Amino acid sequence: MLALRLARGAHPLVLLRRLLVAAASAGVGFLLLCTLGYAVGHPGESQAALTRLAWCVLPLAATVHFAVAVARTDPATRPRPGLSAIGLGPARLAAVAAASTAVSCTLGSMVALLVFLHLRGDLTGLPFDGASAELLGAGRPLPLAAALTLLAIVPVVASTTAALTLRPRRKAVLDDDPGTAEPAPAAPPGGLPWGVALVALGVAVETYASRGGTGGAAALPLPGGLGGGPVGVLAGWALTAVGLAVAGPGLTHLTGRLLQAFRPGVTRLLAGRALMDEARRIGRPLGVACAVASATIGATTLYGPGGAQPFGPLTGLGAALVMTCTTATLLTAALESRQTRVTTKDALLRLGASASMLRMAVGVRALALLAVFAPLTWAVAELAALPLR
Amino acid sequence: MVAPPDNDVLWARALHHSHNGSPALQGVSLGVREGEILAVSGPRGSGKTTLLRCLSGRLVPREGEVWFNSAPVHTMTSLQRERLRRDRFGWVGPQPDLVPELTAWENTALPLMLRGTSRRAAKSAALDWLERLDAGDCARLRPHALLQAQRQRVAIARALVTMPSLLFADEPTAPLHRADGAQVLRTLTAAARSHRITVLLATHDPDVAALADRTAHLLDGRRVNSVHLNGAEGRDACSLSV
Repeated sequence: MLALRLARGAHPLVLLRRLLVAAASAGVGFLLLCTLGYAVGHPGESQAALTRLAWCVLPLAATVHFAVAVARTDPATRPRPGLSAIGLGPARLAAVAAASTAVSCTLGSMVALLVFLHLRGDLTGLPFDGASAELLGAGRPLPLAAALTLLAIVPVVASTTAALTLRPRRKAVLDDDPGTAEPAPAAPPGGLPWGVALVALGVAVETYASRGGTGGAAALPLPGGLGGGPVGVLAGWALTAVGLAVAGPGLTHLTGRLLQAFRPGVTRLLAGRALMDEARRIGRPLGVACAVASATIGATTLYGPGGAQPFGPLTGLGAALVMTCTTATLLTAALESRQTRVTTKDALLRLGASASMLRMAVGVRALALLAVFAPLTWAVAELAALPLR
Repeated sequence: MVAPPDNDVLWARALHHSHNGSPALQGVSLGVREGEILAVSGPRGSGKTTLLRCLSGRLVPREGEVWFNSAPVHTMTSLQRERLRRDRFGWVGPQPDLVPELTAWENTALPLMLRGTSRRAAKSAALDWLERLDAGDCARLRPHALLQAQRQRVAIARALVTMPSLLFADEPTAPLHRADGAQVLRTLTAAARSHRITVLLATHDPDVAALADRTAHLLDGRRVNSVHLNGAEGRDACSLSV
C-alpha cells in the first residue's frame, strides 16, 4: 500500500520511467506468450520452441537491468533521515522499491496477456481482432498455468533483483548521518584486463567456429529464421558482448584519468574526476549499451534489408526491446549520477562556478566517452562480423 | 533609497524575509565596518543564517536594502550577485561541502582556478593557505580521508585563498568538538585580522561570539540588545497537561 501511495504522489517523470518499465515488461511478456503460442501450435517442434524461449532471455535481461536502474533512481526509495527516524529505514525502503517494481512489471504482464489474447482472436470487439491468429497458435487452448508462469517471470525476477541490489549494506546502515559522513569513493574498477581478454577470446572463438560453417548469413540464423547455426559463433558473440560489459567501468575510469591528466584546467579537472568517481555507475550500462550496439551493427551488416533473411516481427520486437531498454538504462544511470552529484553541484555554484562551466564539464565528459566508446564499438562490431562475411 | 554611511563596508536596512510564509527576518538593520569581526549571535531559529544569506546576495530579501561598498546588492541581477560572490565574498558553512573527487589542495585552489588563475599559481596559493591553517599535511588527501576538523580547515582555506573583502562564516565550528572548534576559530580570526578581511560570524555560542569585535544579537528575526533565555519557562510549560 505504501508503495502505491508513494507512487501516487510521485513526479510525472518518475511515473513515466515506471510506465516505461511496464511497457518493457509487457514486451517481454508478449514475446514469452508468443513462444508459448508457437509451442502449442507446433507440438512436434520442441527444439525450435526451446530455441525461441532461449532467445527471450536477452530482452528479459535488458528489461530487468532497466527495472533495477529505475528502482535505484526512484526518489521514493532513497533513504531519508525523517523516514529513517520513524522506522522506515533503508531495509524497508528496499522492500518498497521491490514492491513498486513488481507492480510496474505485473501491470506490463497484464497488458501483454490482453494484447496477446486480442491478437489471437480470443478477445473480440476491438480492431485487429485475431490479426495474428496464425502466428500465435490460435484455435488451440492456451495452458493457463504455463501462461501465468511465463507472465510471472519478469515481475518476480525484476523485483527480486531490485531488492537484492538496493538491500542495505552494513556500512550504509552504520553511516546513517549524511551530515558528517563523507562516503569513501569506490575502488577503481579492475575489470578492464578481463574485458579485453573476453573480447579477444570471443573474436577468436567466433573466427575458429565460423571456419567449419558454410559461411555467410546462412551459418547464423536469427530466431526469426530458426535452425541450428554454429553454436561457437554465438558463443563468440556472447563472449565479446560480456567482455564489453565487463570492460565498461574500467574503460570509463581510464577515460576519466586521461581527461584530467597533464595539468588540467578547472573544466577538465572536474569532468575527469567526476568520470573516475562515476566509473562503476556509468561504465556498466555504457558497456552493455556498447555490446548491444556492436551486436546490432554486426547483425545489420549480415542480415541487413535485402539480405537473405529479413527480420521477422517478433525478432524485431525483441531487438527493439533490447535496444530501447539498454539505452533507457544508460540514460537512467546518467540521471542517477546527476542526482548523487546535486550537493557537489550546489557547493560549486556557491563557490562561484558558473552554470555554463558546469554544463561544459558535462559536455566534455560526454564527448570523451563518445570518443572512446564509439570507435571501440564499431571496431568490435567489424571484428565480430569479419569471419562471417 | 538612502545611501549608506561611508565607513560601512556592508550595510543593511529593515530587512524582511520569510520562508514560505514563516517569518525569518523582521526589520533587521545592520552595519559592518571594514576589517572588523562582527558576530551575529542568537539561538537556533533566530534568523542568523537567513540574515547572512541575504547579506551575501544568496537570498533577495522580501523588503529592505543591502549595500556593499555603496553598491545596492538587493537590486542586482542574479548574474551580478553571482559575480560579486565569486570576486569579493567568501563563505564558510557549518558543513565543509568539499568537492569529494578533488584533493584538499585542489579544493582550496578551486575558487582561484574558477577566476582564471593559472594552475601553478593557484596550487602555490592553496598550499600556502593550507600550511597557515595547519592542514598542509593533508593537502594531497581527498575529503573522505580527512577528519571533520581537517575538512573544515580546508573549507576555511578555500574561503580565504581568494582574499575576499568579506567573509561570511555561518556556524563554522558547529560540527566540531570544542577543542577543535576553538582552534579552527582562532586560525580563522587570526588570518582575517592579519589580512584585514571583514568577517561576519554567525554563532549561537557566547564563547565564540566573544572572539569578535562586536556582537549583533538576533531573536525571532529581530535585532535585540541582548538575549536572555529563561530556562524556568520550559519547566512551567511542562506542568501543563496536553
